[in-house]
Amino acid sequence: MMLASMLVLLVTNPGAVLSEMISASTEALNLCIELCAVYAVWLGIIELVNLSGLSEKLAHLLRPLIKKIFRVDNPDTQKLIALNVSANMLGIGNAATPLGIKSMRALDDGSGKASFAMIMLIVVNATSIQLLPTTVIGLRANAGSANPSDIILPTIIATFITTALGILLVHLIDKIKRKTKK
Amino acid sequence: MSVFILPILFIGLFVYCLVKKINTYDGFVNGAKGAIKLVVEIFPYIASILIAVALLRVSGITNFLAEILSPVFNFLGIPKELVELVLLRPFTGSGSYGILENIFSSYGPDSYISRCACVIMGCSETIFYVATVYISQTKVKKLLYAIPVALICSLVGTIVACLICKIM
Repeated sequence: MMLASMLVLLVTNPGAVLSEMISASTEALNLCIELCAVYAVWLGIIELVNLSGLSEKLAHLLRPLIKKIFRVDNPDTQKLIALNVSANMLGIGNAATPLGIKSMRALDDGSGKASFAMIMLIVVNATSIQLLPTTVIGLRANAGSANPSDIILPTIIATFITTALGILLVHLIDKIKRKTKK
Repeated sequence: MSVFILPILFIGLFVYCLVKKINTYDGFVNGAKGAIKLVVEIFPYIASILIAVALLRVSGITNFLAEILSPVFNFLGIPKELVELVLLRPFTGSGSYGILENIFSSYGPDSYISRCACVIMGCSETIFYVATVYISQTKVKKLLYAIPVALICSLVGTIVACLICKIM
C-alpha cells in the first residue's frame, strides 16, 4: 500500500513524501494522547464493572442463550464463551480477546478443521456485539460534539442486526452443508 | 433522552459498588493505569496506518478509488467520504480510530458523515485481526465460511448504519 502510493508520488509530488509522513505521525501522536485520556476514564469504569461482579452476572444470564446458539454442551466452555460475549458487550475488548482465545482452545478437537461453534465464535466476535461504543463516544466528545452519546441507540440497533444476521447465516450454511452431505 | 444514558449508568455502577463494599477509588485507579500501557502499545500501529493513509491521500489513490467505487457506494447508500473507513476497518482497529478522527476534523463530529462513521465503527470489527488471533493457539488451519460471513455482515451493517443515521 505504502509502496504503491510512494511510486505514484515519485512522479507527481516527490517533495511531499517526508513532510506528509511526519505530519501524519504527529497526528497519530496527538490521537494517542487523546485516546489515553479516553481509555483512562473507561478502563477505570470497566475495572469497577469487573470488581463488582457485574460481568460475571451478565455471563451467567447469557449462558442458556449461548448453549442454543453455539450448540456447546460442556458447561466450562459455555462459561468461557459467555464471559467472552459479555466482555464484548461491555466494550472490554482487552478482556474479550484472551477469553476468546481460551474458548477457541477449549473448542479445538485437533482435527485442523473449524467446528460449527468455532466459526460461530469468530463470526459473533467479528460482527461486534458492543452495547456501549465507549472509545467512539470519548473521541467524539473530545472533538466537540454537542451530544456525543446520541449514537448509542443507532449503534445498538445496527450491531444487533449484524450479529443476528451472522448467527442466522452460520446456522443456515451449516444446515445446507448437512443436507448436501446426506 | 440519550444525554442521560451515561450519567445514569455511571451512578448506578457507583451505587452498586457502594452496596457491594468495593473500594471504588482504588479500583478506578487500577483500571486507569492500563490506559498508558495500552496507548504505548498501539501508537506504532496508529502511526503506520495514518502515514499510509496520508500517502494514499496525497498520491491521489484514495480519490481514484473513491471515484471508481462511488457508483457501488452510491447504490448501497454509503457516502463516498467513508470509502477509506469502510475499506480499512476490517484490517485495523487502532488505525480506524485515526481515520475516524480525520473524519471528525474534516466534517465536524455532529455531521451526518461523522455519525455514520461512529455507527459503522460500533457495528463492525477488525475481522482479519480477530480471526488470526483467535485461531493462533489452535490447530485449525481453515476457517471455512467464517470470514466471508463476517464480511457480508459488516457490509450489511455499514448499509444499515448509513440508513439509521438518516432517520435518527
